[in-house]
Amino acid sequence: MSAPLLEVSGVGKRFGGLQALSNVSLAVEAGEIVGLIGPNGAGKTTLFSTLVGLHRPENGSIRLEGRDLVGLKPHKIAAAGMVKTFQNVALFLDSSVLDNVLTGGLMRHSIPAARQLARRCLERVGIGAIADKLARDLSFPERARVEVARALCTEPRVLLLDEAMAALNHAEMDAFMALLRQLREEGLTLIVVEHHMRAIMSLCDRLVVLNFGQMIATGTPEQIARDPAVVEAYLGRSAA
Amino acid sequence: MSGLSPRHWAGLALLAAFAVALPFAFEPRGYGIRILCLALLFAAMAQSWNIVAGLANQISLGHAAFFGIGAYTSTLLLIHFGITPWLGMVAAAILGGAAALLISLPTMRLRGHYFALATLAFGEVMRVIGNSWGGLTGGPVGISVPFAQPSLALMQFRETRSSYWLMLAALVLVTLVFVAIKRSRLGYRLRAIKENADAAEVIGVDTTRTKIIAAVISGALTAALGTLYAQFQFFFDPDTVFGVASVSVRMAMIAIVGGIGTAAGPILGALFVIPLEELANQVFSAQAAGLSQLVFGLLLILVILIEPRGFMAIGPRLQRLFGKGDRR
Repeated sequence: MSAPLLEVSGVGKRFGGLQALSNVSLAVEAGEIVGLIGPNGAGKTTLFSTLVGLHRPENGSIRLEGRDLVGLKPHKIAAAGMVKTFQNVALFLDSSVLDNVLTGGLMRHSIPAARQLARRCLERVGIGAIADKLARDLSFPERARVEVARALCTEPRVLLLDEAMAALNHAEMDAFMALLRQLREEGLTLIVVEHHMRAIMSLCDRLVVLNFGQMIATGTPEQIARDPAVVEAYLGRSAA
Repeated sequence: MSGLSPRHWAGLALLAAFAVALPFAFEPRGYGIRILCLALLFAAMAQSWNIVAGLANQISLGHAAFFGIGAYTSTLLLIHFGITPWLGMVAAAILGGAAALLISLPTMRLRGHYFALATLAFGEVMRVIGNSWGGLTGGPVGISVPFAQPSLALMQFRETRSSYWLMLAALVLVTLVFVAIKRSRLGYRLRAIKENADAAEVIGVDTTRTKIIAAVISGALTAALGTLYAQFQFFFDPDTVFGVASVSVRMAMIAIVGGIGTAAGPILGALFVIPLEELANQVFSAQAAGLSQLVFGLLLILVILIEPRGFMAIGPRLQRLFGKGDRR
């Protein structure tokens, strides 16, 4: 049995008096779609930020294909193949949509090649028509999709999506999930944070549940739905 | 970001011909042409500042440090070793670039006001060193470039219009560097840093390295322009070349008044600010102490109030006002 593509073990992160993550361990196989769920403030975004190097964990290791990423800057981790999107959307607002996405391609390509790749990424997420608009002028759902296109343009091996489906309607969400499944077929590994349970349940091979910075459960969507600890975390003790 | 249309090229060629021929309309060694020279020099300086400040929004208020290093480097090499200012200018650029690298390391993580303050302090430190290290710089008394027979090799000219063409060439060169950077991968990366540094890092931009490269290019160019200034003025002291108001803030102000981040902005800004300053001096300095500075300051405030994004933003605004053309 080969080692997992991404192996997180014993990761802890503290902000002042708040233990945002404690002893988080998870292993993700190549080609998996893993859902990361948990109540608000559980540490999902913090975990993503720590994985891509925006936060440095106090303990633990993060290995991608066996290589420890702790202490590397985000751009090195991006070069190694792990990229995240931003939940609150962090686009380059005064640039065009195309230039936003293109910038993601510059890590591995010249400008003309990155531009071609960027157009393909925009087509894939279904917003090829707005390539020349200023990012500032977009609606929130459009911005979220530009985030995804820009991350794809870095040609990642592991993509961390932080509520990329927020504000999509049902049809858009189905199309988006089809895209994610297709990306997985092409070899991409995905970890998604999403509040939309219908999407999470149908999309993910496996779920990981965080609460108060700790991993409280992991398993298939069916197992998680029946897990008493999870139900308690979401609904309170009496429900469980 | 695409190429220029034939009409634009024709316009640029016409402008270039006009700029080259302009000195013939002036007294060869007169006052007017000197002001033009300074305007071109300051346009080039503001353009070098624009590389870091305009593209990455790292507002430096310490560029006088590089400018002064350049002026002193070539002048001292000329005085002590008889080295031509052309080589002196290369040495100036190397030292200016090295100084920029040095100051980049501790200030790189600073953003906004903190970066501005740190660079301001760096410029002031250089001014104090210049004033107190009399053995090297001549201290507050200042330093003179030794007079020689006018020759291109020594960058000294019989007529001011030769200096004008030199300044013009320098401005064109620095502007070409700015435009080349803006269109390159470096330019895209700098814009990404300007608009969201964390997001830029996460999608693979080495923000530290990118900022340092831009700072070194900007510092080297500014130092080379310091050499041109020394050869043009023949005399300078630490307070002039390392000055906050006389150099650092003026570079920033010119670029901001003209349009920060654009190639034409610093040029328009310098052609407005430098002659205006001189005019205010001429008209008002005889009447009351400081009155000329006051008028100059008020006019600048007025410009910034009318269009905070500088002259370059006025064109598009007028177009929108009259319903012509659409937003880019």
